[in-house]
Amino acid sequence: MSPVTKADNTPSASFLAIDGLTKTYNKVTVVDRFALEVEEGEFVSLLGPSGCGKTTTLQMLGGFVDPSAGSIRLEGRDLIAAPPSKRGLGMVFQSYALFPHMTAAQNIAYGLEVRKVPRAERDERVRQALDLVGLGAYGDRYPRRMSGGQQQRVALARALVIRPRVLLLDEPLSNLDANLREEMQIELRRIQQTTGTTTILVTHDQTEAMALSDRIVLMRAGRIEQIGGPEAVYARPANSFVARFLGKTNLFPGTVGADGRSISIGSHVFAAPAAATPGATIVAVRPEKLGFGEGGIRGVVRNRVFQGTQWLVELDTEHGPAIVQRQNLGAVPPAIGEATGLVFEPDAVHLMAPEADK
Amino acid sequence: MSGRNGFWALLFHTVFVIFVLAPIVVVCVVAFTPEGYLSLPVNGPSLRWFEALLNNRDFVSSFQASLLLGTISATLAALIAVPTAIAIVRHEFPGRTALLSLCMSPLMVPSIVLGVAFLRFLSQIGLGGTMVGLVISHVIIITPFVLRTIMNSLGSLDSALDNAAASLGSDGMTTFRRITLPLIAPGILSGWVLAFINSFDEVTMTIFIASPGLTTLPVRLMLYIEDSIDPLVAAVSTVLIVLAVLAMVILDRLFGLDRMLIGTNDADKDK
Ligand SMILES: Nc1ncnc2c1ncn2[C@@H]1O[C@H](COP(=O)(O)OP(=O)(O)OP(=O)(O)O)[C@@H](O)[C@H]1O
Ligand SMILES: [Mg+2]
Repeated sequence: MSPVTKADNTPSASFLAIDGLTKTYNKVTVVDRFALEVEEGEFVSLLGPSGCGKTTTLQMLGGFVDPSAGSIRLEGRDLIAAPPSKRGLGMVFQSYALFPHMTAAQNIAYGLEVRKVPRAERDERVRQALDLVGLGAYGDRYPRRMSGGQQQRVALARALVIRPRVLLLDEPLSNLDANLREEMQIELRRIQQTTGTTTILVTHDQTEAMALSDRIVLMRAGRIEQIGGPEAVYARPANSFVARFLGKTNLFPGTVGADGRSISIGSHVFAAPAAATPGATIVAVRPEKLGFGEGGIRGVVRNRVFQGTQWLVELDTEHGPAIVQRQNLGAVPPAIGEATGLVFEPDAVHLMAPEADK
Repeated sequence: MSGRNGFWALLFHTVFVIFVLAPIVVVCVVAFTPEGYLSLPVNGPSLRWFEALLNNRDFVSSFQASLLLGTISATLAALIAVPTAIAIVRHEFPGRTALLSLCMSPLMVPSIVLGVAFLRFLSQIGLGGTMVGLVISHVIIITPFVLRTIMNSLGSLDSALDNAAASLGSDGMTTFRRITLPLIAPGILSGWVLAFINSFDEVTMTIFIASPGLTTLPVRLMLYIEDSIDPLVAAVSTVLIVLAVLAMVILDRLFGLDRMLIGTNDADKDK
């Protein structure tokens, strides 16, 4: 099935290597020098706000959008030269794109039929694929008589049954309601681990990206802002955009002392978690790492929301708005209008260069 | 309010339906008269005029000509319209809107002008008064109807379907045959029916290009009425009405009429 493998001179070629991938529409660059190396079996998410170029990037991988520049190599083979039908990639579309005149089983069988897989093997693989996504009993249903979640599973089974080298998913869960989405996330991760298929997922939902991925690629306005594991990008965002995009965060203007060992936010001074460059800085503290107490940063409670498992408290501080998230362990946080201090462990902070934009 | 339609709305609909149906009913009843002139069959029904119709060689051959002309023209129009619609809906190319306007323009030009133009043109190229000439002119004026319904069908298809098929390894031709064609089939079929009806029904233009030896049914009827009005025309009309109703019923049973006339894509009927 695999087309001619081109000789590749680059050493240490990874499984999927994307380099300098660029797309320009009438002089507007919507994807700018996208570079990423993906290992076999890895689950990578492209995460970013609407219009940042995630879909365009995925479509270039799938072959539905021609790149203006750059290269895509899969196991050393140049993909850009191959038409979509010869790339051997599985794709799940945001609209699912199930064939409405075919049953679930016929949809799944389609890729095998055009590959001329013999009848008996085809039936067996379709059955396995239906079982894999938990739809064993639904083979004869037409897509429009299935729920969104079921259609989504059919689309996934259809993409996986051809045993793609890479699975491309474009916001596959965004049409599902919150509960179902969470269920499908777990399901998707399970299926991906069962099959070991290298997967690239496009999403604008940071919890989804963090829950599913081995690595996250954060994008903004066509550029990659940061690449890293979920915990790493959450704990050590490269800039305030990444920090804000990956959940709520508090950003305080601060100064690193001349010795590089102490940090001050206004009058509050604490030891630097690691040696830092002296001068102005931005101190980022996640809301779950802030507590109430004496000293620290002074603030007044503006709003307080009870969410069952946790409390969410918004404050106005001398250094701008702040948000605190406390596990509901019985203690009730300060009431609205009350003045309090915000305290944190020195190693709970993450320092970012101040010029790193709004 | 309890009902969905108020009293005045119902009254309006009733009057409207009566207004539309009354002439048709009258024609059908008149066809059964035993008299030699247009009248209601007060002395009991008679099949006299239907018999006369069957024995009228002119009408029978015109009826055959119309059927043949409608079938060939509608089929050719559909064959032209499918690739044209795909090009216009799916692809971006210079002259796209110009092509669309060109294909739709026969709807804008008065039939009488087309008739004169075709008369000139067809006799110039030696096809005046022939079936080929009639087919050419009819294809041109009925293609817009098929094109419209097929474009509607294509437009309501998710464009990701083609990409999905391609990602599964399907080449362009296979995708067209197995995905696109079955999904636009209702649009093609309803367009074919509309085109056939328009061809069968066309008088204004055809009257210029038909010849004494080759005349369509409506033109024959027209010419006949010019010098004699007898219940024969009512009999012809009745036959046409019955055929039309039969066709409607069959199509409705097979495909669902409202769905066909709107040209939607729900090709998969519940089994
Ligand atoms: N065919 C096109 N012609 C011109 N501009 C386009 C085209 N397709 C996309 N764009 C632009 O490229 C940018 C990136 O689009 P893209 O669909 O990749 O964003 P996205 O990250 O997937 O966003 P979303 O989360 O909303 O799906 C957008 O500003 C969009 O307007
Ligand atoms: Mg998108």
